[in-house]
Amino acid sequence: MLKSLNRLFLAAVILVAASSVVQAADLKAGKKVFKKCAACHAVGEGAKNKVGPHLNDVFGRTAGALDDFKYSKAMIKAGEEGLVWTDETMDAFLLKPKKLIKKTKMAFSGLKKEKDRVNIIAYLKTFSTGVEEAEPASEEEQSANEETATTQVAAASSASNTNQNYQKSQGKFGLGRIALNEEVTAWDIDIRPDGKGLPVGKGTVAMGEPIFAEQCASCHGDFGEGIDRWPVLAGGQGTLTEERPEKTVGSYWPYLSTVYDYIRRAMPFGNARSLSDDEVYALTAYVLYLNDVVEDEEFELSNENFNDIRLPNEENFYPDDRSEEAHYADKSEPCMKDCKPEPARVVMRAMVLDVTPESEGEGSLE
Amino acid sequence: MSEHDKRESESTHNPSRRALLKAGFAGGAAVATSGVAAAATPDPLITEIQDWNRYLGEGVDARPYGMPSEFESTVVRRNVPWLTADAVASVNFTPLHELDGVITPNGLCFERHHGGIAEINKADHRLMINGLVENELVFTMEDIMRFPRENKAYFLECAANSGMEWKGAQLNGCQFTHGMVHNVMYTGVPLKYILEEAGIKPEGKWILPEGADASHMTRSIPMEKALDDCMIAFKMNGEALRPEQGYPLRIVVPGWEGNMWVKWLRRIEVGDKPWHHREETSKYTDLMEDGKARRFTWEMDVKSVITNPSPQAPITHGKGHTVLTGLAWSGFGKIKRVDISIDGGRNWKTARIDGPSWSKSVHRFYYEFDWDGSELLLQSRAIDEAGHVQPTKDDLRAARGGNSIYHNNSIQTWHIRPDGSAENVEIS
Repeated sequence: MLKSLNRLFLAAVILVAASSVVQAADLKAGKKVFKKCAACHAVGEGAKNKVGPHLNDVFGRTAGALDDFKYSKAMIKAGEEGLVWTDETMDAFLLKPKKLIKKTKMAFSGLKKEKDRVNIIAYLKTFSTGVEEAEPASEEEQSANEETATTQVAAASSASNTNQNYQKSQGKFGLGRIALNEEVTAWDIDIRPDGKGLPVGKGTVAMGEPIFAEQCASCHGDFGEGIDRWPVLAGGQGTLTEERPEKTVGSYWPYLSTVYDYIRRAMPFGNARSLSDDEVYALTAYVLYLNDVVEDEEFELSNENFNDIRLPNEENFYPDDRSEEAHYADKSEPCMKDCKPEPARVVMRAMVLDVTPESEGEGSLE
Repeated sequence: MSEHDKRESESTHNPSRRALLKAGFAGGAAVATSGVAAAATPDPLITEIQDWNRYLGEGVDARPYGMPSEFESTVVRRNVPWLTADAVASVNFTPLHELDGVITPNGLCFERHHGGIAEINKADHRLMINGLVENELVFTMEDIMRFPRENKAYFLECAANSGMEWKGAQLNGCQFTHGMVHNVMYTGVPLKYILEEAGIKPEGKWILPEGADASHMTRSIPMEKALDDCMIAFKMNGEALRPEQGYPLRIVVPGWEGNMWVKWLRRIEVGDKPWHHREETSKYTDLMEDGKARRFTWEMDVKSVITNPSPQAPITHGKGHTVLTGLAWSGFGKIKRVDISIDGGRNWKTARIDGPSWSKSVHRFYYEFDWDGSELLLQSRAIDEAGHVQPTKDDLRAARGGNSIYHNNSIQTWHIRPDGSAENVEIS
């Protein structure tokens, strides 16, 4: 196994070496690409493990070797078989994580562009000590490139918006221009409880399950139970009057449309708008299944039957009535003198709980 | 540098509360013994020539964008890491106890992001108006700058400000209990001009602002509010919005929940009904004791807090003349009056409001008194021009129970001990 792994990398090295000659690494671009990773991985001073391990000193490290991070069995095994993170192995992993390590729990499909991988590796290496640093393009070269790029973008955007073919606004100020249908379609993704905005499409619980496992479970847990402090999606029915209510889609959310809308606009966290409409239907169906709102794995949710589904807590919301609370309804002047029969006593102290973060240079009072 | 300077500068660099307290005790001791002491020693800061008295400082090219004094380096926003799962969908807090006046400096305005800070070149930013309008429009930032502008100062308070305090005194510092509020002078365009440019159809009763960040934040706002005093702002306190406050464009929704003030504003849809999106159903709804929940609780109620003294800003000067100060605000208009109690709400005196009194903007109050060095239970109570009186925490809990998270505008109590230290407490 180890041998074949090495041979694989050797091949990869040759390929990479051949192409990276022309490809000078750009640290700034690497930092930008890293944003895709930052929801799960921290790097830099004080970086801690998050959903994924921190990446300080990752280069030169054996795979799966941090003591305080819970890796997949597959990652630990790869490390035991000799996988060490180098330019080449990291490049292969980033290209297609699940190809290199089939059962890694990293839910990331990979970076297809070689340039992105070269840049991110160069960026990550700045946080690894004792490794040879990739030679970044000289500062001047970089900023020159960027300047050209920015100028081009600026020119392009102003050109795109002063395009003579646009229709001018008909309003009082004559400012702005008429939006094109394609533009409105691209941005208008909102869904309402009455189903307005739902795209044509469909997906089943069974189709949603593997998507959930790959894209959502690393934060929300396999059964929507929530990992660390990430949102719990399922369960909690009957807890709303308890000391610690659990507000989930099944126990609290009034409308299913909110689930579809939110997944579509903001999930998966750190890779928004990457799911197809059908995948969102499948995931929404799966969330219904996790909450026992539907029980059949073959249940198919679509724009046709969407409005037939009602969430259990829909009726339990009502409009703001704070103004009727006794203390606001009472319009008399407040008491100024001898307002309490006895001197006030302290009945609870913040320092007993001791949950206030300590700031540098600030100890807690004794 | 003389020994004294060194000590002085060390303690300014590292003003631990313990050190401050020690300084306080030392000061107290000095006062107490000065009557007996034979002769006071001259202050070397006066009698000796200091470095800054003699040598030249940096020139005008050294600080093209000026930053605060190095001796103010502890005046920063702070996070409470255990509150949320990740810093990119989290909140930090304004250091209220370090500030004065009514305007919050741009770099200290608390932050709340749902998908991190979007970094957008204003040349690449677009605002779209769509839905129930005569003409669906697209604006560039340049277009927006050609509308008539207005300048208005408003507070922005997160609906969850003080939310950790519902069940009891929890966080020990007004930065953490009350720091999800800031007050900024905005420059922008009244939203009605933008909507009227597109032409609102008669059935258009609601708007849905949407952000361009990775969370694509959305909230439903009734048209009446949109046409009343909402604005789309591009400047804060005179300069461009900071990226963390929505550069290049945000919507300003005066007096209402901070969550509605969508940052990186890229689209406003006009509709006939509200959208019931995530931030107005699963979040920002107020769970009552009976398991039902209020929704669309938009206005931020009348509220005040004493910022000094407070747990992070103890009294260090010993007894004698003492300045108490704080902030008051209401989503219903101006603050009419602020009362102060030093005995836990048994007796009240009216504080002095100083500085501008603008609608839906924070008011600064002061109460000067002669501290006899005894224990104090400090409280402030604000009354707004609509006649709302700031309630007690017991009032709110009686009406709502302990799980409604949002809209805790109750009276805060700080316990001051004879040594000048302060603690967040609840009282009988």
